[in-house]
Amino acid sequence: MLSKFTALFCACALLSVTYAPAALASAASSIRISHPYVTAVAPGQTNSAAFLVLKNTSARNHALVGASSPAAKIVQLHTHLHVNGMMEMRQVKQIPIKAHGKTVLKHGGFHIMLINLRKPLKPGEQVPLTLTFEDGSHQEISAPVIKLSDTLKSMPMKMDRHH
Amino acid sequence: MKRIRWIIAALVVVLLIAGGFYWRSMRHPSPNSAGTPQGGDFTLQSADGPRSLHDFRGKVVLLYFGYTFCPDICPTTLTLIGQALSSLSPAQQAKIQGIFVTVDPARDTARKMKAYVRYFYPGLIGLTGNPQEIAAVARRYGVVYRKHEEKSGGYLIDHSAFIYLIGRHGTLRRTLPHGVPAATIAAALRQLLRQP
Repeated sequence: MLSKFTALFCACALLSVTYAPAALASAASSIRISHPYVTAVAPGQTNSAAFLVLKNTSARNHALVGASSPAAKIVQLHTHLHVNGMMEMRQVKQIPIKAHGKTVLKHGGFHIMLINLRKPLKPGEQVPLTLTFEDGSHQEISAPVIKLSDTLKSMPMKMDRHH
Repeated sequence: MKRIRWIIAALVVVLLIAGGFYWRSMRHPSPNSAGTPQGGDFTLQSADGPRSLHDFRGKVVLLYFGYTFCPDICPTTLTLIGQALSSLSPAQQAKIQGIFVTVDPARDTARKMKAYVRYFYPGLIGLTGNPQEIAAVARRYGVVYRKHEEKSGGYLIDHSAFIYLIGRHGTLRRTLPHGVPAATIAAALRQLLRQP
């Protein structure tokens, strides 16, 4: 009797190990990244930010939990809060991407903050970014450096003005 | 009887919610609760010497506060200001002075401010001063700011992000909220230029 259970347990364990990777694709493989860009900096400006669109093609919630880039000494996930007329920029632990949903990193909202740039970012350059998701999976992308005025022309800002 | 009980329960809920909002508003008074900022004259340092608001009498002055370490909000607003000014005729542009005042005088030197602001619009002036001078000007215009230490060792500055428009006689005429499009800034400037 016991051995029957053991056998059944072993079979189940084996099955789950065999099928787990297929059933649970990594977050990185479920997230489609589009429209990445980094804003070019003004003379003396040592910080910049990366923006992009994260699309979740899976039926599970995912989250961006970190980013790194050779372009900056420190890379952090940030958001903007508009509190009583004050613009506050705060580091966040993660940026959620809901199942079958889309999260847009945009001016005045979530962004990937590049702190202490190793050199000024000029339009036309490419910035490599490694994005890390909640399960530890990574995705490497390259974001073009775009002049801020060009990004604002093509994309009207959606600022939160209802607080 | 049952109905009365329900009404009382509903009233209690409403009162609790209202009380909560009142308590919140007392704890976090809006920076503008004191009414419209008074504005007024000031003198601060540019890379080319001291500049006062009264130096620009006869011109419409656009005033904005921020800092060069500001990664998103300030460059975005300065870009919109640059686009608004560039959309006006050269004659109109000649009658407007854009000024960017730092709220981070510890890091923003006059030279740094000059190089920074010209990137957004060649005619912009960048001003700095000692912390007391900056605080005095900020108070007069209702600008609020505070240092926010980062775990990484650096700091950011939380700040209000209004654009102040000052008429030709040096009085504060309009305050534009953060995030207004360049066309709105340009329209407000044109309107002030039409006023005597």
